[in-house]
Amino acid sequence: MNQSVQATRTMLDVQQVGLQINQSYILKDVSFNIKAGQFVGLLGPNGAGKSSLLRCIYRFIKPTRGQIKFLDAPVESYSRQEYAKQVAVVLQDVPEQFNLAVFDVVAMGLTPHKPLFSSMNHEDKSEIAMALAKVGLTHKSTQMFSSLSGGEKQRVMIARAMVQQPQLLIMDEPTSHLDVKYQIQIMELAKSLGVSVLASFHDLNLAAAISDHLLVLHDGELKAQGSPLQVLTSELLSDVFGVCAQVTQVPNAHNEQTLVPHIRYHYGYIQ
Amino acid sequence: MSKLVLSGLLLLTLLSFVSAMSLGAIDIKLSDIWQLLVSYDVTNLAQKVLLELRLPRALLAFLAGSGLAMAGLILQTVTRNPLADPYLFGVSSGASFGVVMLFALTGVQAGLVLSGAAFAGSLLAMTVLLLIAKSQLNNQVESMLLAGVALSFLFSACTSLLLYWSDPQAVTAIVFWTLGSFSRADWQTLWLPALVVLLSVSCMLLFRRTLNAMLLGDESATTLGVNVTKLRLGMLLLSSLLTAVLVAMCGGVGFVGLMIPHIVRFFLSQATTTGLLLTALSGGLFMLWVDIVARTVLENQELPVGVITAAIGSVFFLVLLVLRKRTAASM
Repeated sequence: MNQSVQATRTMLDVQQVGLQINQSYILKDVSFNIKAGQFVGLLGPNGAGKSSLLRCIYRFIKPTRGQIKFLDAPVESYSRQEYAKQVAVVLQDVPEQFNLAVFDVVAMGLTPHKPLFSSMNHEDKSEIAMALAKVGLTHKSTQMFSSLSGGEKQRVMIARAMVQQPQLLIMDEPTSHLDVKYQIQIMELAKSLGVSVLASFHDLNLAAAISDHLLVLHDGELKAQGSPLQVLTSELLSDVFGVCAQVTQVPNAHNEQTLVPHIRYHYGYIQ
Repeated sequence: MSKLVLSGLLLLTLLSFVSAMSLGAIDIKLSDIWQLLVSYDVTNLAQKVLLELRLPRALLAFLAGSGLAMAGLILQTVTRNPLADPYLFGVSSGASFGVVMLFALTGVQAGLVLSGAAFAGSLLAMTVLLLIAKSQLNNQVESMLLAGVALSFLFSACTSLLLYWSDPQAVTAIVFWTLGSFSRADWQTLWLPALVVLLSVSCMLLFRRTLNAMLLGDESATTLGVNVTKLRLGMLLLSSLLTAVLVAMCGGVGFVGLMIPHIVRFFLSQATTTGLLLTALSGGLFMLWVDIVARTVLENQELPVGVITAAIGSVFFLVLLVLRKRTAASM
């Protein structure tokens, strides 16, 4: 009962969002919503406006038009700190000029939750230890963050997001520099957290296999949205991504009952 | 482990203060120090030296060292530039310019106005730096460093020009002051650096979580609920104030802000409270010993402190650049 109420609750509601920078439109009239517990994949070619849309949602930039609501209240009505308690973000990559231990990076997730004077208590420490265990990096907690591999760094950032205890996790191409194995691992890790996720993807097949719902952005406009089967068609692939491909259906790896689209690209672009 | 290092360093600080009081033109035996500290005797020369010269001087040196190390750490954190330092960013030169301007125009050589003028100068430098960095969002780290070096030359040129027009006696006094010295320390003026250094350490401890969050980038800090612009501005103001007060008191003492945080960071994750306190302590310790060397290495003469720190610091900076290049090349 509780579960079904949860499932229909709207977590994030994006209404006619537009973004204009120096006369050029980065985003045009984008509307969609994310339900509680949903994993939403954001697709689109480079420069389609994926990062800008996510930045509007995590409030790094302000949209010039439209409204974004989080749990039925406009995002501006939340203080930065309140919002950070609800929404965590994993970025593509982070600068690391400084010596920071893995543990300290994960502990940053506490930032919005702790008042200025308070120090870390036993609960916080076990929270951090649990997050590190979940991403499989307990043995590296005292190592320097800069000494980790790309995949390990992103797992640390996911652990940080877990400590932040959000209701919505936003990921901006978190796997773009990673090996295939880590691309899958990071996304499955995000899915296993049980919170709503909005993630942009580069790999369309991975997006289809992981997401409940897909959004396709092209030149700042939302070209399609729906289930992976509805969205990923060979027409869309040629219109938006400019590739010729055949779409077949394969059983979902996470749930054998359902089918997901699988893309087979045609080659021979250079004669 | 880090607690052990911290208590060790505290002990070392205590010992260093004792050494600073014992060493100098007049040798005061270690065994006499306690006696001199607790019993008051107007006619005792050694006691006068100890209480009115060496102790305030040692305290000022310690405060200046930890203050400048803090100023460097703040700049490095909020600009995410490990090479940031009040000296390299032109903030010190700005402060010097303010002081020399006041000195040349009014002849005032001491007091609060001096710190005020220094603060005005350092704020001017900081504002120009921020404006330049704002127009170059893509490579802020490099442009801030280059702009800082350019600014520090500009302010030095202005200072030299002022000196050129001043009368020769004032020039001697100013030149001696720009070389850096703790000889002006006395109990009446010590409260100001003490207050500002304490204020900075408490601010950094208070905001340590949000400051750390900035180390992984503005965007990442924003997503953790940090108001990046406000925090950065406040912290830059704080570091300008620190630099200004210390420059007004002690003259041009450079490179401490670069060196000390670097050395501490080499050994431990800087995100911890211990790291912060270690930086402040090591800075103070370093400066205390530099001053002891400055006072004792030459018979009946004092070396300018700024000369020693600049010599050590610039070599350190060069070594750092070579090492950084090497690690970059090996990756």
